[in-house]
Amino acid sequence: MRTLGVIAIILMVSCAAAAQWVNLTLPNIPRTPDGKPNLAAPAPKAPDGKPDLSGIWRVASGKYLQNIAADLGEPPFQPWAAALYKERVAVLGKGRPSEGCIPHGIPDGMVVRNFPFKIVQTPGVVVILYEEFNHFRQIFTDGRGFPPETSESWFGYSVGKWEGNTLVAETVGFNDKSWLDDPGHPHSEALRVTERFQRRDFGHMDIQITFDDPKAYTKPWTVTIPFDLYADTELMESICENEKDRPNMVGKQGRRWR
Amino acid sequence: MNSTATAIAILFLQWVNVPLPNTPRTPDGNPNLTAPVPKTPDGKPDLTGIWRNPDGKYLNNIAADGVQVPFQPWAEALYRERQENFSKDRPSGRCLPHGVPDIMLVPATPFKIIQTPVVTLMLLENQGHFRQIFTDGRGFPKETNPTWLGYSIGKWEGDTFVVDSTGFNDLTYLDDGGHPHSDAYHSIERFRRRDFGHLDYEITIDDPKAYTRTWKVSIPFELFPDNELMEAVCENERDFEHLVGK
Repeated sequence: MRTLGVIAIILMVSCAAAAQWVNLTLPNIPRTPDGKPNLAAPAPKAPDGKPDLSGIWRVASGKYLQNIAADLGEPPFQPWAAALYKERVAVLGKGRPSEGCIPHGIPDGMVVRNFPFKIVQTPGVVVILYEEFNHFRQIFTDGRGFPPETSESWFGYSVGKWEGNTLVAETVGFNDKSWLDDPGHPHSEALRVTERFQRRDFGHMDIQITFDDPKAYTKPWTVTIPFDLYADTELMESICENEKDRPNMVGKQGRRWR
Repeated sequence: MNSTATAIAILFLQWVNVPLPNTPRTPDGNPNLTAPVPKTPDGKPDLTGIWRNPDGKYLNNIAADGVQVPFQPWAEALYRERQENFSKDRPSGRCLPHGVPDIMLVPATPFKIIQTPVVTLMLLENQGHFRQIFTDGRGFPKETNPTWLGYSIGKWEGDTFVVDSTGFNDLTYLDDGGHPHSDAYHSIERFRRRDFGHLDYEITIDDPKAYTRTWKVSIPFELFPDNELMEAVCENERDFEHLVGK
């Protein structure tokens, strides 16, 4: 795991060099007397009275990308999934989809600390804009159900509803190719993810994520990941440029170290 | 070339049928595409919906309707070269984004507009990318890295949504045919929803390094009702071998 940490740092440094943050004083941000965003102010409300999750968010710790189950110990693997995970860890996650400019999945697209994401909440749909690779995801809240058939996809098909102050999003229709985190917690196409988004106050949001995938895990398991508001800034465009980025990717076999 | 690419793209797609609420309907239950333009709570026309231009001619050539393109000499030479080699080096052939405007012009991949008071999102089925058009009063940032899709600010002029974009790199093509642009490219897009089912679009191309004067084209979009975007992530290794060029 220590080696993985070093890799993460190398990747973060190379990405940080490319990124250039915009500093932007946004309206509608509560401020402390010194003009800074007041991150402990109450959570804002949407016009329909629901909590408004809109904002740019960033995972509070890089550890979750390195292990989505960091706070849990080991998830309840099926034997093949345990073996595959071990194999992936042994080669330092070589071959993970994001190497080939393929998206991180759910949830790990949200836990890349160097790439924040933006939530835009509207009455019929909650949109997640990922800085990473400039991809998006929609959580439909217009009352629709799942389509009778979905093609297998990287981000799945998500429908959401409010339970009190919590947005509960259910997602199905995944392919079996995305990884739950960088070292490679696997999943099958039977994966069903339940995410519970709760904005604690202006500057903090928790997402409780339950993985229900009987093919890969013996029972559902749940993690809770904290996110911090990334105030007064904007997403930068971050297109994955395959030819350019590929030599910078690392892994144990056949990849060039930089 | 483009028809082959389009055919491949269509093979991967499988449309969802989602009867959406708030869609005006004719007595037979079909969406009434000539119903009046919906309005947002603040009284502006609401551009929200899934849109596409089903005619591939604009993807091949945004000047297809006989617009005179005022090339600078180098831009004309480059365009000719791209025409001759069937745009084999165009970025979308390598899973890099289409640009503005052609990311909206691929008939097989519609785009969705989501309009909010502070930002209008354009969710592009093509490669699953997005654009943000800010309407919260901000100006352009002082410095930006050059980008594929630019930095966009919008404002309303009557019933028309006017979007200024700058900060482009010089890598995208304006269309698959290969109309080039430089990093001085500044686009002005005007969106006007004519009725429930039709969105008129006009883009002015202001790029004095590549063109001797500004020029503009008009392209009509049609609503793609009762539907939803599909995921169309470009998977390099898989797609690359299917892509063609000279």
